[in-house]
Amino acid sequence: MNRRSQSILALAILGLMTGTASADTIKVGVIGTMSGPYALFGKNFKMGIDAWVAEHGTKAGKHDVEFIYRDEESPNPAKSKALAQELLVKDKVQYLAGVYFTPNAMAIAPLLEESKTPLIVMNAATSSIVEKSPYIVRTSFTMWQNTVPAAKTALKNGAKKVAIAVSDYGPGVDAEAAFKKTFEGEGGAVVEAVRIPLATTDFSPIMQRIKDSGADTIFTFLPSGPPTLGFVKAYIDNGLKAGGVKLMSTGDVVTEPDLPNIGDAGIGILSTYHYSVSHDSKENAAFLATIKKGGGNLDEVTMTSVAAYDGARLIYKMIEATDGKRDAAKAVDAVKDMKWVSPRGPVSIDPTTRHIRQNVYLRSVEKVDGKLINKESQTFADQPDWALSAK
Amino acid sequence: MSEIVATQVPHKRSIPFGQEAAGALSIIVLGAIGYFLYPDDLAFLTRLIGIAFLVLSLDLVTGYCGVATLGHAAQFGVGAYAAGIACVRGITDPIALLAIGVFAGTIMGLISGALITRFRGLPQLVLSIAVGQLVAALANKLSWLTGGSDGLSGITPGKVFGIFNFDMYSRTAFLFSLGVLVIVFVLLQRFVRSPFGLMCRGMKDDDLRAKMIGVSIYPRLVVMYGVAGAVAGIGGALTAISTGVVGLDSVSFERSAEVLVMLVLGGAGHLWGALAGTIIFMIFEHIVAAANPFHWMTLVGLLLILIVVFAPRGLIEPVLSLASRFKRKGEAA
Repeated sequence: MNRRSQSILALAILGLMTGTASADTIKVGVIGTMSGPYALFGKNFKMGIDAWVAEHGTKAGKHDVEFIYRDEESPNPAKSKALAQELLVKDKVQYLAGVYFTPNAMAIAPLLEESKTPLIVMNAATSSIVEKSPYIVRTSFTMWQNTVPAAKTALKNGAKKVAIAVSDYGPGVDAEAAFKKTFEGEGGAVVEAVRIPLATTDFSPIMQRIKDSGADTIFTFLPSGPPTLGFVKAYIDNGLKAGGVKLMSTGDVVTEPDLPNIGDAGIGILSTYHYSVSHDSKENAAFLATIKKGGGNLDEVTMTSVAAYDGARLIYKMIEATDGKRDAAKAVDAVKDMKWVSPRGPVSIDPTTRHIRQNVYLRSVEKVDGKLINKESQTFADQPDWALSAK
Repeated sequence: MSEIVATQVPHKRSIPFGQEAAGALSIIVLGAIGYFLYPDDLAFLTRLIGIAFLVLSLDLVTGYCGVATLGHAAQFGVGAYAAGIACVRGITDPIALLAIGVFAGTIMGLISGALITRFRGLPQLVLSIAVGQLVAALANKLSWLTGGSDGLSGITPGKVFGIFNFDMYSRTAFLFSLGVLVIVFVLLQRFVRSPFGLMCRGMKDDDLRAKMIGVSIYPRLVVMYGVAGAVAGIGGALTAISTGVVGLDSVSFERSAEVLVMLVLGGAGHLWGALAGTIIFMIFEHIVAAANPFHWMTLVGLLLILIVVFAPRGLIEPVLSLASRFKRKGEAA
């Protein structure tokens, strides 16, 4: 290696290490799944935040805002905690945001009190996260929030006997509990409850069990990806769809980037969710237009970009309210009871739970102009997290 | 292979405990560099030390005994969960938690050792994966105990020796982990050069020959597995104490595979190789992941390919051959 290439290398390394730093810049650390199988959702964090910045500028009040991204990669609490610590101690961020997986959010929570830092959770959907620290605000959703309307829809559609099939991990168990409580509470009967191991690819035996149970409706939750595809296929191939058994799910099973893979077989699947890319409002149209202008691919937009977009709104509001000072209590107070119209519809921050209240929509998969979408047909207005709030 | 054994035998020991002192000193110097030059990265360095225990533990069974395993995270995870559960249920003294981790790791090591080392070759590998998966499935299923996929949170250990608190800057956690690492490393240095350790190397090089001279292989391997389990359990307990959360990742297949990569990278069959592999892999990963959180995995892959192509027996091998060449020169002169 000659001297010139050596010095170029040294400069490059120096450049990587120093980054940008100026006096009046408020830093926000965003921890998300930027690589690996869940990279799409981390990318959506960035798309949502970029869209907000593109619309509202890099200044909140008089202060410059800078977002620093870190990769949580997978459910790895030790790594996420180390990342958060590094962001706080080394990069001196004033706000933390993002977090795709629940255990990672749980690991970060104890740091908030000590460092007086608010955390805006943009995905992790287990109800109890917001109880772990008074400085946590969540702009995504919870399983309870989206599942209770599903159970109500099933009741209204005349379902009497329901079979529940969920993935055997935290959110799946949450979904099962929420559905069961609501459905049985109103006189319905759950005739079968199957917990499916996460790695399952062959769903025929499960379909047979459901068939034998005599259920008229299936409620399911699986994390989006190959399993959902297999599940929907097995549902059709085993004759349940033809036999008139209805399939209901939360929107995680039919996220828009997955719809082309499910294909036309998916038409008619009902789901309840807080955001559809096809949501018809001028806010959503403007949001999508901004993403497109920034070079984003509209086929990749998911619920995490909206959560990030709204999360960035809260962060800007917090910075304005505290005038750039580190005051977590004041910052969180400033957004309690905040109301606005998001691309997903009217939303507000519940002052007691610090979780977002929002509309949940009943949608069905339909083909419009040759493209599969989740078409909204009914609105459950102003839904809280049903695990934490009674109404 | 037999050559390696020969070079490791302490044939000429001029200073008693010289090697141990050198080992301890080197780790302390490395730790001091980390502590004083990178005071903002202590959380990461603490995590690194936790993983280093697991790599050392894997080295004991894979590097020293030739047992192929892809389920080694089980011992680490059981140690972590045991310490975590104990802490949530009211035992908060870090040293007691460490002891619990060691105990649980040892038990797990003995159990999996008894199963895995009955076989050789592919069946052994398959069995090791099966044991790892079994533990992972249990950790997910017993969610009332382990927190399932949400992770076991709320672990708030007390002060070390009743004085030093675990804080956000990870100073206590780092120094505590470093101290434990020094002690364990020195003990391991003695252990692998003990008659028992040397016999294990012998069995790895030629198990038929070992049998012929009357060594019963199976019990030795099980005992070695127990020791490895204890070391992994320490790492698990330390990670649980310093992060305050235990997740399913600590028993996952990915964790087992990752530490195997680190071990191969550094050089199996050498304690320093295990440590060097951990340090190099994790620091490289840390730097590139921070520089480019979106495409860092590609760079890590490239590094691995380069190392495997140019130093197939681990990074420690060229260093060792260089050292022995110097030695021979010195003897000749």
